[in-house]
Amino acid sequence: MKFKDYYEVFGVPRDATQDDIKRAYRKLARKYHPDVSKDPESDVRFKELGEAYAVLKDPEKRAAYDQVGSQWKAGQDFQPPPDWDAGFEFSGRDFGSGADPGHSDFFEALFGRQARGGQRPGMHARGQDHHAKVLIDLEDAFRGAQRSISLRMPVPDEHGRIALRERKLDVRIPKGIRAGQHLRLAGQGDPGLGEGPPGDLFLEIEFKPHAQFRVVGPDVYLDLPLAPWEAALGCSLTVPTPEGSVQLTVPAGSAAGRQLRLKGKGIPGKIPGDLYAVLAIALPPAVSESEKAAYRAMAEAFDFNARAPMKG
Amino acid sequence: MSKTEIQSIQGLIVEEDIPLTLEELCQACCAPQEHVVAWVVEGVLEPLGETPQDWRFTGASLHRARLALWLTRDLEINLPGVALALDLLDEIAALQAHQQRVGSR
Repeated sequence: MKFKDYYEVFGVPRDATQDDIKRAYRKLARKYHPDVSKDPESDVRFKELGEAYAVLKDPEKRAAYDQVGSQWKAGQDFQPPPDWDAGFEFSGRDFGSGADPGHSDFFEALFGRQARGGQRPGMHARGQDHHAKVLIDLEDAFRGAQRSISLRMPVPDEHGRIALRERKLDVRIPKGIRAGQHLRLAGQGDPGLGEGPPGDLFLEIEFKPHAQFRVVGPDVYLDLPLAPWEAALGCSLTVPTPEGSVQLTVPAGSAAGRQLRLKGKGIPGKIPGDLYAVLAIALPPAVSESEKAAYRAMAEAFDFNARAPMKG
Repeated sequence: MSKTEIQSIQGLIVEEDIPLTLEELCQACCAPQEHVVAWVVEGVLEPLGETPQDWRFTGASLHRARLALWLTRDLEINLPGVALALDLLDEIAALQAHQQRVGSR
């Protein structure tokens, strides 16, 4: 296990005040929150921030961490000394927010036991619910899919010490799932305390970016470039959908930006989404003499002023 | 890290299959009940049903409630501030959806 320097995460010195730490956390958390940030690494970064903050914001945990941490540098191999936390009384007021499967082995080794508030005999409580994100392909939402996910669960051993155990779950992702929806896996969260039932696991679904399709809720959008004559005269084309190709009729006189709807060809469901082909006009370059002649003939044939809508 | 066990399980889509009660939502997002009630009163969450006992939350509320909890607890934003931040995030999401619809032209 590598030692983690929580001060380095925030870029603050070891003698930073609680206010400095709070400020540094807030600034970075605003930057890296997955709902706000466009950075693909933001998820990892945000978890790291949350873990460091869980320790440093709490004066008791921070004091304990400082005591054990003063001899180590980030990345060094680390084993907590036996009884490293003797003399510290964790009040456990963070119970509920401290036990996070996103926390590192390092965090769990130091604070895992306290974060769960200890296993008091005779205490029964439902285990905590957990959240995780799963990236799937858009095609999976059309067909359904089986995804294997790895979870790290803190499990107490017979001495009450916490060890992380890896668990693999084969999750069947139902056809018709949309980005932003959650799957609930009953009983797959933290084990309950005493005879309490286990918590649930919530998986938030996200689509991997697709080279061809964009997704908005249940609807799928596709850019469809047309030659000027195809848009002007109309045509019949084969267009791709996530379920295979379909035949699409482009009506004559179609302008760029026009959206042609293929009803029910979006993500399936009780009310299936639609597929929209968003038309774009691709202008062929005039390179050869005959190509240039064709453009000149168009200029002759049309009484067309492209700047007619401009005033003055 | 020790043993590995493999299980195959079927999940339920929260948004379609399971409306959450007040208690279930609190449990699922680890938020105290008084926070969730305050968010409903402020209009941050809009459950179906009249009284707290009858409230039924959709899956979208789950995401909103987790975000509201983070804004409240870690950024110490007050209730109207949380409501404003969530409205602005909604607006950004709507603009991004619009951008997705029209494509990159």
